[in-house]
Order: sequence, then C-alpha cells, then structure tokens
Amino acid sequence: MSAVVQELPRRLITRLTVEDFLYREAALLDAWKLDEWLALFDLEGSYEVTPVGIKDPETVSRAVAYFLVGDDYERLQQRIVRLQKPSAHVEWPRSETRHCYTNVIVEDENDTDVRLRCNFITRRMKRGVTEYCGTNLFHLVRAGDDFKIKAKRVILAQDVPYLHQGTVSMIL
Amino acid sequence: MAWSENYRSRFLDVDLDKGRFRVSRTAFSDPAVFQEEKEKILYRSWLYLGHESEFPNRNDFLVRQVLDAEILVTRDSQLRVNAFYNTCGHRGALLCRERAGNKALLTCPYHAWTYRTDGSLLTRGKVGGYCKEMDDDRAYDLKPVPQLAQRGGFYFVNFSADTPTLDEHLGKAGEWIDTLLEHSAEGLEVISGLQEYQIRANYKLMCENSMDGYHLVPTHGSYLDYQRHMLKGMEVPSLGGHVIALGNGHSGLQSNLAVGRPIAQWMPSWGEPARTLIEQKKEELVGRLGQERGEFIANTNRIFCLFPLTLILDSQSIQVRTMVPIAHDRMISRIWLFGAVNEDPEIRRVRLEGALSFLGPGGFATPDDVEMLEISQRGYAIGGVEWNDISKGFHAGEDTADGELDQHIDNEIQMRTYWVEYDRIMNDGPSHDAQNVRVTEAAL
Repeated sequence: MSAVVQELPRRLITRLTVEDFLYREAALLDAWKLDEWLALFDLEGSYEVTPVGIKDPETVSRAVAYFLVGDDYERLQQRIVRLQKPSAHVEWPRSETRHCYTNVIVEDENDTDVRLRCNFITRRMKRGVTEYCGTNLFHLVRAGDDFKIKAKRVILAQDVPYLHQGTVSMIL
Repeated sequence: MAWSENYRSRFLDVDLDKGRFRVSRTAFSDPAVFQEEKEKILYRSWLYLGHESEFPNRNDFLVRQVLDAEILVTRDSQLRVNAFYNTCGHRGALLCRERAGNKALLTCPYHAWTYRTDGSLLTRGKVGGYCKEMDDDRAYDLKPVPQLAQRGGFYFVNFSADTPTLDEHLGKAGEWIDTLLEHSAEGLEVISGLQEYQIRANYKLMCENSMDGYHLVPTHGSYLDYQRHMLKGMEVPSLGGHVIALGNGHSGLQSNLAVGRPIAQWMPSWGEPARTLIEQKKEELVGRLGQERGEFIANTNRIFCLFPLTLILDSQSIQVRTMVPIAHDRMISRIWLFGAVNEDPEIRRVRLEGALSFLGPGGFATPDDVEMLEISQRGYAIGGVEWNDISKGFHAGEDTADGELDQHIDNEIQMRTYWVEYDRIMNDGPSHDAQNVRVTEAAL
C-alpha cells in the first residue's frame, strides 16, 4: 500500500491531504462546532466573503472595497462568539447546513504553505432551502502533519447582483 | 396636522383616549394593497437612482432596476446625465445587458439600431426600406423616464410627470442630504462593493426597521456585546438624541452614540495611526465649518427616511439604502457605501471596517434585522390579527405629519409620520397644507 502511495505524484498526495483537511473543516461547520472550527485558524488568519460582482474578487483587498465579510482573526473570534448566542437571532434556532466542496486544485505549495482553490455548493435549510455556490480560495500553512488556515476567501458565483438568500449569516 | 380627534381608515386606527396609534397589517400582507400603492405612491414619487460618482465620465452608463423598470443611466457627450427605459425603440429588446460600462454608441444586439448616449437614434443598422420622414420627429429616440433630478449629486427618478419637484418633495429632508456634503470639501464617492440582498418581507418593514431605536437592544444585543468588546474599556455611551417628523412622510433620527466615525470620531480599536489622521480631519472640519458645526458633523449620527423607500445613514459611515419592492412580501434591499473623495487609505480602511461589522448581509446586525422582518411578514400571513401597534410616545396633539420632535429616540413618531403620509395618499386625501387649513378651520 505504501509503495502505491509513494508512486503518486507529490501534488496528488498534497491534494488528498488538503481534501482530508477541507472535509473536516466543512464537517465542523455543519455540526456547528464553531470553537473547534476557529481552532483551525492561524492566529493571523482571516475569513472573507468578497463583494458580489466585483471585477477582481481573487485579489481585491478589503481595505478598498465593501466586502460582505472581512474578518481579521479578532473579528472572526467575535463572529464565533456571537453566532453561539441565542441572541444571534438569525441563526437561532440554528439552520441546518451542508457544505459540499469539490474540484480541489492545489495551485502552489512549498515546505511551509499550500494555496488551493475548490468549488463549493452550500445549502442552508431554515424555513426553506437556500443555496450558495462559488469558489473558495484557501491559504494553508503547514503545522506538523496538519494545517492551519491563514486565509479563507469565499467568492460567490451568481449572475444577479443580489443575494437570493438574504444574508450570509452562517459561515460559508 | 396635530391630532385632535380619533381617526379610523382602512390603514390607521388612532384612538386619542387610549393613546393608541395602530396600522393595519393588510398594508403588508395584501397583494391588492401592494398593487394600489404601486399606482398611487411608488410610481408617483421620487425614488433613489444613483450617485454622480458612479457615472463621472463622458459616455459612462449603468443599468439599474427601479421598481419594475430597468433604467439605463448615461452621461452623454455634453456631460448631461440621462435616465432612459433600457429598451430599444425598434422591437423592444433590452438595449444594454452589461450592468455598467463606457460606450459612445449603444447598439441593440437584435437589429443593430444604434443610439448616442444622449438617447438619440443614430442609425438603424441596415439602411433602406424606410420612409425618410419616419423619425424626423425623433419618435424612435430612447424614451426618458418622465423626471430625473438631483440633490447634492444624489439622483432620483419619478415615473410620473405631474408631481411636485424633487426639492418640493424633499422639503426639510433635503437639508439632511445637504449636511452630508459638509463631510468633505472634495465631495463624496461610492465605494465599490454594492450590497444587494433579497428579503422575504414587505419593503415598508425595512423603512420602519432602519429608523427603529426601540429594537436596538432586544434585536442587536449580540452586536452591542461586540461593540463593548471593541471599545476596549471605554465607557459605553448612553443612547441620547431625538427623532423628528420632517414632513411629506420623511423623518429623521439623530444621536450622539459613539459608534466611531471616520469623520471624525476615533475608536480605540482603530489604532494609533488612524487616531492622528482622524484628529487632523477634525481640525480640517472645524477650520472649514467653525467649531460648533465642525463638532456636529464629526459626532452626530443621523438616519433619515425619504418617503417612500430610501434611507440614508450617516453613522459608522455614509450609506444609502433603497429597496426594489418585488411583491407584497418580497423586496431586494440595496446598500451603497460612501466615502470622501481622495480619502486617506487608512481612513478608508477603518470606514470599511466599521461598515462591515454592523451593516450588510454578513455583518453582526443586519442578518438579525432580516430575520425580524421575515418573521414579521410570516406573522401577518398567519392572519386573524388585524393591527400593528406603533403608539410609543404618541399623545393627543402630536403633530404627526410635520415638525413633531421627540427626545426619546426609541419612540415611534418617525414611523407614524410615514404612515400618515401613506394613509393620506392611499385614501386620495388632500396635501398637508390643505389639511392644515381644514384643521385650523375646524378649530375655529
């Protein structure tokens, strides 16, 4: 078995490894284990959802454009604190969610960092079903045998400028 | 119009003895009422279109939905701003399908009829077959929306021609727009990143909610916790201020709650580099406007509602919010964020941080508002209960339509003034001036 693994190109091994990480990340979100999810982040990590319809969503900075979400680590921490309170009314009772990641492509890797993209379709079930679709850009840093998230950038794909689903109240 | 007797209509129930002011839920839940208000109010009123900074250059264009209409806004070769229906004069196809751009000529993809940005038809593509007199009266030019006007660079349209002018409609509320222009000697601009989201609720709920001081603590407790955290030991200020009826259904809310204002009220969480810049900005304001006015502009948070569906927020930042009513129980809400032209990048950064954390579909507050609006709409759909209550602060003699000022910003005069105007138009009532005469005569 290990001989087979060793024959795989390095980028496939990386892909399998990061996919394993991404599936665990998504599972924590679907289980609303938000403290554990936050623990996946580097202490300088960020979580962003770029503006819908902006020309350069992969590179634009939240210092110059009005993002849907633009959290540095401190605000992300506060977002998690908020989302776990019943007074975060929009998510109380909590919605059911399923985060589905696919088309994982490792774009760049070295001994310390891995940059990848994947498509996502995430469903939120609360008084009906709403669906979010798009691309996630992840910047991971290696931490022993595992990773920490340095940046998660969510880019929504849609043909109309408005969000069908009203809010991005849960973590995408 | 000061209340001196009880009043009952399709939409309002005003009982002075009980201090009750109630609104019929049918105004939110009845599709027939929605159709009626489109005809009587929405298609006869001034509706926000966009800001001059969104189309600064010759031949800039953008396409924007207002009510059911797709509007093509252009700045023509003479630098005039135009608002046309975005449909070809030939066979009606959408003329522009991109949301924005810059083109000297606008060509319909169907048969290549081509227009200049001032709306005039230049060519029909394939020539021949037409009588040469056919359009010598310019019958095939792009059709402009009946009225387009601006106040301080904020453009509004009106789908009816025979209405009061924009300035007449705005009245005192126009001065609330003018105050925004004092923020910067170099003007304001829209920051890229339009926030637009659909809500399964009636658009009037958004007008009420955006001006509602009463809901702040119960609905936004988790945001206020966050704010306390970000104040990092600074005292949480009390919620002082006032709400005021501005006439014609407009209203304003003013408060000195320290929320952090990039112009020019510093917050500890913004860091020291921003502090120096904000202090400089405040000096500039005081130098330009004088001590008292400079302090006012720096520290005063204002939210005002321009009847029937525009809201302007001047708090953590300047935001214009308007709605596209889709049905009695559905709207699209839009938020544009504004900053000063040539703003220091560090100030721009903290402006965006402040705007992000509170407002918008991913903020710490707006999602909870969306939830409240949607569960209210669902509550009306249950049926069986007729009235909503907005009596907080109400009393006999209140000048609900115009001029009443209430020192408690969690009272509800700002909603009552909206509904009095709504009720008047829907019931084909006379204007306020005529009503004043009637009330005065009755008093005599």
